[in-house]
Amino acid sequence: MRKLRFAILSFAHIHAWSYARVLKSLEEAELAAIYDDDPERLRRAAEAYGVKDLYGDYRQLLKREDIDAVVIASENAKHAELAIAAAEAGKHMIVEKPLATTLEDAEKMIKAAEKAGVKLQQAFVMRYHDATVAVKNLLDGGTVGKILAVMTTNHGKFPGLWFDDPKLAGGGAVMDHVVHTADLMRWYTRDEFDEVYAVIGKNIRPDLRSEDCALISLRFKSGIVGSIDCSWSRPNTFYTWGDVFLAIYGTDGFILVDAFRPCINLVIEGKPLTWHYYGPDADYNMIKDFVYAIQEDRPPRATGYDGYKALEVSIAAYESARKGLPVKLPLQR
Amino acid sequence: MGELGVAVIGCGFIGNVHLRAWSKVKGSRIIAAVDLIGGKAKRAAEAYKAPYWLTDYTKVLEMREVDIVDVCTPTYTHAEIVVSAAKSGKHVLCEKPIALRLSDADDMIGAARKAGVKFMVAHCLRFWPEYVESKRLVESGAIGEPRIARAYRLSPFPEWAPWHKDRRLGGGVFVDMSIHDVDFLRWAMGEVEEVFARGGTLKTADSTSHDFTHAILKFKSGAIAYVEGSWIQPPGFPFTTYLEIVGTHGMLAVDNHSPAALKVYRPGEPPAVYTPFEEDAYDKEVKHFYECIVRDLEPAVPGEEAKKTLEVTLAAVKSVDEGRPIKLPLEGEVL
Repeated sequence: MRKLRFAILSFAHIHAWSYARVLKSLEEAELAAIYDDDPERLRRAAEAYGVKDLYGDYRQLLKREDIDAVVIASENAKHAELAIAAAEAGKHMIVEKPLATTLEDAEKMIKAAEKAGVKLQQAFVMRYHDATVAVKNLLDGGTVGKILAVMTTNHGKFPGLWFDDPKLAGGGAVMDHVVHTADLMRWYTRDEFDEVYAVIGKNIRPDLRSEDCALISLRFKSGIVGSIDCSWSRPNTFYTWGDVFLAIYGTDGFILVDAFRPCINLVIEGKPLTWHYYGPDADYNMIKDFVYAIQEDRPPRATGYDGYKALEVSIAAYESARKGLPVKLPLQR
Repeated sequence: MGELGVAVIGCGFIGNVHLRAWSKVKGSRIIAAVDLIGGKAKRAAEAYKAPYWLTDYTKVLEMREVDIVDVCTPTYTHAEIVVSAAKSGKHVLCEKPIALRLSDADDMIGAARKAGVKFMVAHCLRFWPEYVESKRLVESGAIGEPRIARAYRLSPFPEWAPWHKDRRLGGGVFVDMSIHDVDFLRWAMGEVEEVFARGGTLKTADSTSHDFTHAILKFKSGAIAYVEGSWIQPPGFPFTTYLEIVGTHGMLAVDNHSPAALKVYRPGEPPAVYTPFEEDAYDKEVKHFYECIVRDLEPAVPGEEAKKTLEVTLAAVKSVDEGRPIKLPLEGEVL
């Protein structure tokens, strides 16, 4: 198997650093070049991962014939420009979530990738956590019968940086968190959302430029009930980064998932208790699978369309909160 | 004041819990155990050394030695029993929910006020250790202003009380069970102004009651809460509760399994995971009501409070039925 040559387009999103770590560790791939529009961040990334080919202009990087695929991890609002250019340059791509900040952009990205015949994988890392994969297998095997309801949470600390800047992020905690468990629910139920009701607030961090929390009630076409409790509500001193929690109610059983609970209680003299994670490395699983999807020429586990449908829940949540009423999906554009 | 006489009406699960609690209250004496099923009343009377067991509750209302009537009957009977007990001059402790109709709650509150008797609704979380401590922490300002809450309560369907399958008799999972969380959240975070809920009768056969409901509450303060109640857990599922409150300066979270002091494993039974107290929440609740009578204090959960809590849960039922957010106060009855 030929080593695939990768470039990372922007380290603005914190996950870029983890993806770079994975690329460096894979036998099947090579991190050949990086681009960033922030020279200081470019320098730090280059230093951290020992990359020599550095670009402040992504167009120049994309001209390189030897690059097979790119990881797009810019600020959310810049995904579309980078993804469309990457598609036109014939590069396969994995795009950090959310896919874009508007459905229009998301659709343009999907179409550009289709036209160019390149793979567009949405980086839904929660489809690659071994526990959530195990749940998918249990559900598909009928372990809990038919799904009746799903309750999910995705809480975290405030990530800082540009994440609360609506211009760059497209919103706040809703844009950051909703798509993860919205996507898991779609994946598990094999169903589409029919209605979204949301309450959104800037409830605990008044200094932010965006919302910090949302409570979302969902209904699927088949009648399955779902919910998302997402927020940047964890204090800075919290003992772990946050959580992805799922409760799945079936006709014949019940599944609880606390994906990031596998932790060691770690106390270092002079510091508060922290949870030291030892669970599955979902980032590794995801990037590796993307490499294999290219090598084996098969569709990625989460496509651009999956990214679009999850983003639609976030967009609908904003609309519902604005109106104070439930909103029907799919959204009319 | 001499010893206060107590009659417990309804000798099912919660009736027996209350009887045990009353048996520990110094200054009180259990006079009668009442149940429509004579065998249950007799067994309870024997267990708690009550001189009388009866199948007709109206008899205890005529008994001079009965000062307190503790109503532990199914929800749909609360209004009639509480009103007649108050009219007979008895102090009344009534199991939650207060009633299923707001007009019934008003009648109960009015009857108690007119008779000048004490009336309390047994919302036990107001005495439950982790909830009392959480409320104290919030009130002390430890986590700042409470702004986002999350509470859930998961259980198999209460097969032992089949009347819960009729929504006009039991109200369904949110009115009967999530009412605990709603009452606590009102206590800790103030009044609710709007409710959106989703759910329905997802699993339970031959039931008009909802067996699953999640609700999003908007408080007057601007705080929000997610409350979920499930009666669709598989048989044998251990009763599970969770509470989380995020404030402007911190957060608290507690569940009923992880911090338990005691775990007991027996063959063929789900593990019993709990924190025993010599004086448990029910003991404290019942003793509190006794103190309110003896010292002439306002009960922790007067009828008006219980009615407001009920109203929020009814709004959730209405929201599930109608698919839209419901503003409070409610106009008209739901069940």
